[in-house]
Amino acid sequence: MACFEHASPALKEILLRLYRDERAIDADHHLHEFGSVEYYIQSLVSDPDHTYLSISTPILSQAFLISTRLSRYTIEKVKAISTEVVEIVEPPKEGYQLTLRLNFARLPYGKESIKMITDIASVQGVILSSQLEEMLMNVNSQDVAQGMYKPIKLVYHPREPFYVIKQPQKIMAVFPMRFKEKTDVIIATAFFQFPQQELMDVANTKACAKAPHCIWSPIPPPELRGEAIEDLSTNGGFVSFALEKKMDSKNRLNMSNDLKWAFKNRRGLHVNSEDTYISVLLPSLNIGIGVGPTFTFFIMAFTDITSRHIEGKRLDKTVWNLLNFYAFVKNHVKSTRGFIQRRMRTCLKSLVEVLQKTGLQDDQQIKEVKGYKRMKKMRYKETITATDQFVELKQVDSDAQRLVIAISRPHWGKGAIRQWTAFARDGPHSPWPATGSRPIMGASSAIAMAGIQFS
Amino acid sequence: MANPLRLYLTCIRNTLEAAMCLQNFPCQEVERHNKPEVELKTSPELLLNPVTICKNEAEKCLIETSINSLRISLKVKQSDELENILTKKFLRFLSMRAEAFQVLRRKPVQGYDISFLITNYHCEDMQKQKLIDFIVQFMEDIDKEISDLKLSMNTRGRLVATEFLKQFI
Repeated sequence: MACFEHASPALKEILLRLYRDERAIDADHHLHEFGSVEYYIQSLVSDPDHTYLSISTPILSQAFLISTRLSRYTIEKVKAISTEVVEIVEPPKEGYQLTLRLNFARLPYGKESIKMITDIASVQGVILSSQLEEMLMNVNSQDVAQGMYKPIKLVYHPREPFYVIKQPQKIMAVFPMRFKEKTDVIIATAFFQFPQQELMDVANTKACAKAPHCIWSPIPPPELRGEAIEDLSTNGGFVSFALEKKMDSKNRLNMSNDLKWAFKNRRGLHVNSEDTYISVLLPSLNIGIGVGPTFTFFIMAFTDITSRHIEGKRLDKTVWNLLNFYAFVKNHVKSTRGFIQRRMRTCLKSLVEVLQKTGLQDDQQIKEVKGYKRMKKMRYKETITATDQFVELKQVDSDAQRLVIAISRPHWGKGAIRQWTAFARDGPHSPWPATGSRPIMGASSAIAMAGIQFS
Repeated sequence: MANPLRLYLTCIRNTLEAAMCLQNFPCQEVERHNKPEVELKTSPELLLNPVTICKNEAEKCLIETSINSLRISLKVKQSDELENILTKKFLRFLSMRAEAFQVLRRKPVQGYDISFLITNYHCEDMQKQKLIDFIVQFMEDIDKEISDLKLSMNTRGRLVATEFLKQFI
């Protein structure tokens, strides 16, 4: 399985750490990615100049490659990462397909070194891409020349195989889509249907004019006829990308046999009994005019062929996009689910707010009840102020069970106070408790006038 | 708001206003218990005839009334598979958070997508008119939210697909 970035983040981090480490250390790192890719990084004190990186990655197509060894094209691509720093060790370490000897001493200084290490960390992507590139480049293989367009099954992850079908006019990549959950199937299906329905309009714009045709179908395309039934049983349908080629004089042999014959023999008129059509070819103008089986006219244009999507730098892009397609779709499905969840949370909040407003009146009532105790205290204070003329009452402390009152009278002298503590359990008519000080004549009546009830 | 939807919601609002005259009523079966009669359905004399209001086959509302409780069940339109999955996900999400709504039933009545249970206690705690407003707004919001969600998903899909295909160029 590929990931969006070429470089493996974990491998990059390990290589950077080894590169930055000034002292040589013994290090053995085993890394597993996507369940099928394995890295082994070895650094030895006895060999401080070199670090060994071994990779085991699934071969993209067993049918295409005869042995488990990597092809020459792939080896060349790996070597091209850096001829100075990267050296291929032959034979590779046991259990791995490729072993690289990295000489960090030869790495350039500054940012270039990080770029180079990133390139080395993307070695698995290079191997995977180069295998597919090799297949796409060999369009004119024997199979095609013989008119046999057998699909090539590519397995870069056991659960995610896809097919490449090489035809004279186009190369098709077919992805059988499988998902674990029904929700994922529906989100993905809605996504796949978009390119099919609306890309026709978008394709006319400059942005997507040269993009490959994308077709989604719930049933396998006819090109996959004859493949194993377990490979064709999906719940998400089949997505096909048609990487088109234009025809040229060099590749005219790839056209249907009758047209090939006509071109070869420079015949102006050609009658095909099998497909029941008559065509007039005008090789000087590179066009052909024909009448089809239901008397429909058609014009064929033969222009110079260049593979639009599989040439030069575009080949890299195309290959990487095809290898990333599964990851891309899964990422889209996952992010869409997250998006739905976020929207639902927002909606929940707004609905709860609406419901909370329904109890507004009730909330006000509760506030009033809560405020009642405070009002009771206020009343005490007011009463105490009213009795200032003959007695000064001061509420020192009060709670539900106890009330402490300090009383001062003018003839007692300045600052002289007597303090009483009343307990709720004593009841309204109980005598003053003797806690604190003894009762004074007149004080009780003053308290009574102050309107304080002990209950 | 579209005209058919407005008529549908007005009809539900009027029915709810008529139905929401609930009072405290102890259970006739179990002493010192007070249970929503619309759920138990043990005493037919305490139940009113249920009312079904349909906008179409896919959208309908069932209002069941009893002396001390009221049950409102809603069926939300699901025109395609995507709407179906969005509705199910959304209403399940709300049902799992029923405690936040107080009046929401954890499990919908069979044949409906979501149900509310309003008892006389809810009517005492909350304002009746605002409770009806909430139910109506809930219905409006659900429809709107699912349509918006579907639209947003398609927009996201379109952008993602275009970006992916652009990479080939």
